[in-house]
Amino acid sequence: MSRRLNRNLLTTMAYVIVILWLFPMLYMFLSSFKFESQVAVPSLTFTPTLDNYRAVVTPEFFKYLSNSVQITFGTVIVSAVLGVLAAYALVYSGIKKANSIYFWFITTIFLPAVAVITPIYILLAKAHLLDTKLALILLNTGAGIPLMIWMCTTYFKEIPGEIIEAATIDGCSKAGTFFKIMLPLVKNGIISSALLVFVVTWNEFFFAVTATATQSATLPVYMSKFMTQQGFFWGKMSAAGTMVVIVPILIGFFTYKSFVKGLTAGSVKG
Amino acid sequence: MTTKGDKSKLLILPALIVVGIVTQIPFILTIIYSFISWNVKRPDLGISFAGFSNYKKILSDGQFYQVILNSLLIVVVGLTICTVLGILFGLMLNREFKGVNLLRTLFVIPYFVMEAVVGIIWKTLMLNPSLGLNYYISNALGLEPIDFFGKYALLTIMLLIIWQWTPFFFLIIMSGLQNMPSEILESARIDGATGWKLLLHIQLPLIRDHINVAMTLGLINILKVFGLIYVTTSGGPGSSSSNLPYYSYKALFYDWNVGTAAAIAVVTVALTLIVVQRFYGFMNKNNSKNI
Repeated sequence: MSRRLNRNLLTTMAYVIVILWLFPMLYMFLSSFKFESQVAVPSLTFTPTLDNYRAVVTPEFFKYLSNSVQITFGTVIVSAVLGVLAAYALVYSGIKKANSIYFWFITTIFLPAVAVITPIYILLAKAHLLDTKLALILLNTGAGIPLMIWMCTTYFKEIPGEIIEAATIDGCSKAGTFFKIMLPLVKNGIISSALLVFVVTWNEFFFAVTATATQSATLPVYMSKFMTQQGFFWGKMSAAGTMVVIVPILIGFFTYKSFVKGLTAGSVKG
Repeated sequence: MTTKGDKSKLLILPALIVVGIVTQIPFILTIIYSFISWNVKRPDLGISFAGFSNYKKILSDGQFYQVILNSLLIVVVGLTICTVLGILFGLMLNREFKGVNLLRTLFVIPYFVMEAVVGIIWKTLMLNPSLGLNYYISNALGLEPIDFFGKYALLTIMLLIIWQWTPFFFLIIMSGLQNMPSEILESARIDGATGWKLLLHIQLPLIRDHINVAMTLGLINILKVFGLIYVTTSGGPGSSSSNLPYYSYKALFYDWNVGTAAAIAVVTVALTLIVVQRFYGFMNKNNSKNI
């Protein structure tokens, strides 16, 4: 009896804690449907309106959105292609010191962005690449590739050796084995790694705020401007916030299990 | 499968080149810049070799030590609380009950929300002392609203980091708990291990690797926190809520002092390496004790 009571208590607690933890997001979501004049009052009953969304969806917003989309897709595609090729080479092409090279890629993840921004800013300025999408794609790819290599190496290593041997005996060329045998097997792993790169790039703030000004700024920069320019339009801010977080959250919902697998598999024994 | 003159080795080159161009070469340049005197806004002063004067300058600035201390505090406090909460929430949601899958999925949300949005939501809707929820709750309790981003700026930054990163720790630790072989738990229970004993001697040692992964990735990312500070406190009041990345950013983009900014960046990397190394030493010592 008391065990059961205990269990119900724990379950209720779990619900309460998770809802409280998510409350800020929930509150932002609700506030996005409130009239600007009511937004500060924390009431749960209100007449919902789409005014904020209408007010936020402007050509300006679309410019930031389009920058974010182009930069994120560019980064994901380049990182995925280069990362998968590198991971394949590390696992299968018998590179000497493959392990050291792998670890070199991983250590670049440790390097804080401030460690490189000074020369990068100066070089970009000299090359007239400041405030361009190309520059941001390049910078984000520098972070995306190591992430891809880290996760995809694990997936390539999981392919059973016998399958590859069988393909080779059947006269499959190396390229054939890669495209016809391996890629289908690691496809899901590649997709989930690429989605993680997507989320990281979409949310990236440091390079976006330092290497862009007006032409190529992304959504995180747009959001940060609410603090300075429109500090008191909380309804519009909430509407914009809701729109920019929805994509990464949905990606998170569907892929968090494979993220965890990709991140832990390399370093978890057994 | 592998032969010596294998051309597929070349497939690694594009990745090496891009990552090298974006990380390695700029970092070497940063080290070089840290020894020159160069103010972008004062071209008349020119660029000259400065020896160690940039380092002397930042090391004689009291603010710099406060920033280092802030960074360390953020990391130590953030990492500890995130780990403890990650384990607690992992255990809490590792049971089977109605809706547990939904709760697990929902709980990952904060990790996927961009720092810029986390910062502004907490600064306005939640904690603003005159219009936010903070005001209404304090009012209802008959208290003076707390000025979170003023007086308690550093603590509040930590709170936000913990809010955002605990779900990540939970995710990794949870997967460790889920993958635990049930026979081990069963036999431990038969041997009479319950509650705390089961947790400390069976469950935690078994998810050690997962805790390691969560803490390592958490450490790297908490050290790097920037956007959160940028949109909430701008490192202030004074430098009271600055960390090393933000301080270095300010040296470059407010003062336009290339040498100083580079020197701060080099010290940041050095400290990052020391912290990461210490952390590994600490984790290994802990691990060997458990074996």
